[in-house]
Amino acid sequence: MMDLTKLRAERRSRFWGKEVLPYIGYVIQSGVAVLLLFMLIAFAAWYTSLVQHIPTGLPIRWIMLIIFVPLTVNSSFRTYLQPADIVFLLPQESNMNRYFNASWISGVVYKLLGLALVFLISWPLYVRSDEHPKNFWLFLLVLIALKLLASYGCWKELRMVSRRASMAYRFLRYVILALFLAAWLWQPAGRSVIFMVLLAATYFAALRIPAKHLVAWERLIAQEKIQSGRVLMILGWFVSVSGRQQRIYSRKWLSWAGNRTPWKPQTAYRYLLMKSFVRSDILGIVLRAGILGALLVWWNRSGMLGIGIYLFFVFVVGVQLTSLLRYHSESFWLHVYPIPPGSRRINAIGLAFQIQLLFAVLMWLPLLEAGVAQLGSVFMTLAGGVILCLLFRYFAGRKKTIDDDDE
Amino acid sequence: MNGNTVLDIQGLSGGYSLNRPVLHDISFQVNPGEMVGLIGLNGAGKSTTMKHILGLMNPQKGEIRVQGKKREEDSETYHGSLAFVPESPLLYEEMTVREHLEFTARAYNVTRGDYEERADRLARIFRMQDKMDSLSTHLSKGMRQKVMIMCAFVARPSLYIIDEPFLGLDPLGIRSLLDFMVELKEGGSSILLSSHILSTIENYCDRFIVLHQGKVIAQGTLQDIAVQAGTNGAGLEDMFYTLVQGRD
Repeated sequence: MMDLTKLRAERRSRFWGKEVLPYIGYVIQSGVAVLLLFMLIAFAAWYTSLVQHIPTGLPIRWIMLIIFVPLTVNSSFRTYLQPADIVFLLPQESNMNRYFNASWISGVVYKLLGLALVFLISWPLYVRSDEHPKNFWLFLLVLIALKLLASYGCWKELRMVSRRASMAYRFLRYVILALFLAAWLWQPAGRSVIFMVLLAATYFAALRIPAKHLVAWERLIAQEKIQSGRVLMILGWFVSVSGRQQRIYSRKWLSWAGNRTPWKPQTAYRYLLMKSFVRSDILGIVLRAGILGALLVWWNRSGMLGIGIYLFFVFVVGVQLTSLLRYHSESFWLHVYPIPPGSRRINAIGLAFQIQLLFAVLMWLPLLEAGVAQLGSVFMTLAGGVILCLLFRYFAGRKKTIDDDDE
Repeated sequence: MNGNTVLDIQGLSGGYSLNRPVLHDISFQVNPGEMVGLIGLNGAGKSTTMKHILGLMNPQKGEIRVQGKKREEDSETYHGSLAFVPESPLLYEEMTVREHLEFTARAYNVTRGDYEERADRLARIFRMQDKMDSLSTHLSKGMRQKVMIMCAFVARPSLYIIDEPFLGLDPLGIRSLLDFMVELKEGGSSILLSSHILSTIENYCDRFIVLHQGKVIAQGTLQDIAVQAGTNGAGLEDMFYTLVQGRD
């Protein structure tokens, strides 16, 4: 009989050992890693000072809610399933629990560790600013229970036959977890525990209703593609990763993007790139970074911190956009179609620069709120952002990756 | 070499490694307005020959000219003169059917007006009007194959390289493809077509090239092949069987 536990373990070590590990050296060497380290040190310094001088009326319960809802709700599982498994592992379907056990455990354990770490970091701020803080161990226990509940719910959603039911239950999971946490943060411990137990029992019962596959092969394989793509995407921030799979979003509301690209072979690649960009995960990440950046800049608009945050987010957007330079590097059609040599490189660098510049201007706008008195420094900050964009373009131009593909 | 030859392959040897060439001294031509069938068993070297023509592999010996130009001399003109339909559809997941056609038209410098006219007609012929704004990930295999064919036809180059185009197509799709190929041929375009469905291509191709173990073992019209196979009056399938039998 096939040893399914061993099979998953082998696939897991192949992924991390052969696909990720070889890049770790480059990640450590890369400038982005150093910058992140500096950011970590800066955050530590800022956070320490915040904890020592907590502003009065800090909405700590809302802050805790915003931090911990995504951390408890987000669940994912690495199954390392491959498309061919539909054929070769299908006969083992009734035994696949042995394969998935490890997926479930590792999908929960690592996230619990992360959750505990964030809780540990946030605790000093919480305990000092909340008028009636909850007990440390009890709070941690509640978070762990909620995380386990969300993971269980997510696992059941993956098995549901109907996609609509799965989506509806996903929404339900978000709402329920937000309610749980809100009850815990705002209500007395005893009362909120009773509420949570009752709601959890209802949720468990509700999860039993929809019809489920024994193994939802296609969905699990699609999920695995997304998960592995995510790991490789993070690696892609630091180094050029080959064979990375993009997650595609249809985003019909953006289907007009790129249609006004000049109609000539020299810009055909720009058309392709624009279409790819608006349907990629990169757009989502850049948008989130842009919105968060603009909010933080607005919040800290009157001090040096605002300028630092602004430049950091222009940098983050730039790092994300470097993925555009590596898009389609292995595309078959770009070798066959009569795309003018060199146009790919020019198009990719140009597009990444223009998008970064757009974000640099949009994230700068909140600084204008600082008023006329600081107009000089506000415009100097914009100049700094533009220079950062130009630097990105300069360094992208020096990289040979796309040059090589054009040959 | 004939001055009008669209595709001219002379003494082509090549493969994945220098020590073990897959193709051995292959020579053939495709003339304007001609449909040529490239036939052979699995592993005979049909796809490898096509990869060499597309410039995805470099010849170890010999040369390939499209419209009289070698790829090294002018890559843009070379690639602009040919379109390819692969055996398995290769589509961009993030683009719709219409966007694939538009990207191809832009790359091949087809005017916007021509593109719109051709795209509409192709969508109608291949019954894809309802799918034009669907992402390629949402298409069935046959539909994906149709997109590949439509992309090649929207470009309108002088040479089409078509590898096993019938796989996954429904009977109406096959008929539409054959009719369209005939129309292109009559308009002066050249087609190099590889297929295992010999009974179908027998009636459509002007000439045939029979590849076996990387060598051309017979080529010419149906009558020429019959003479070389020594099977007068038989169909292409019988001729092919006679030619390759006992050569292993």
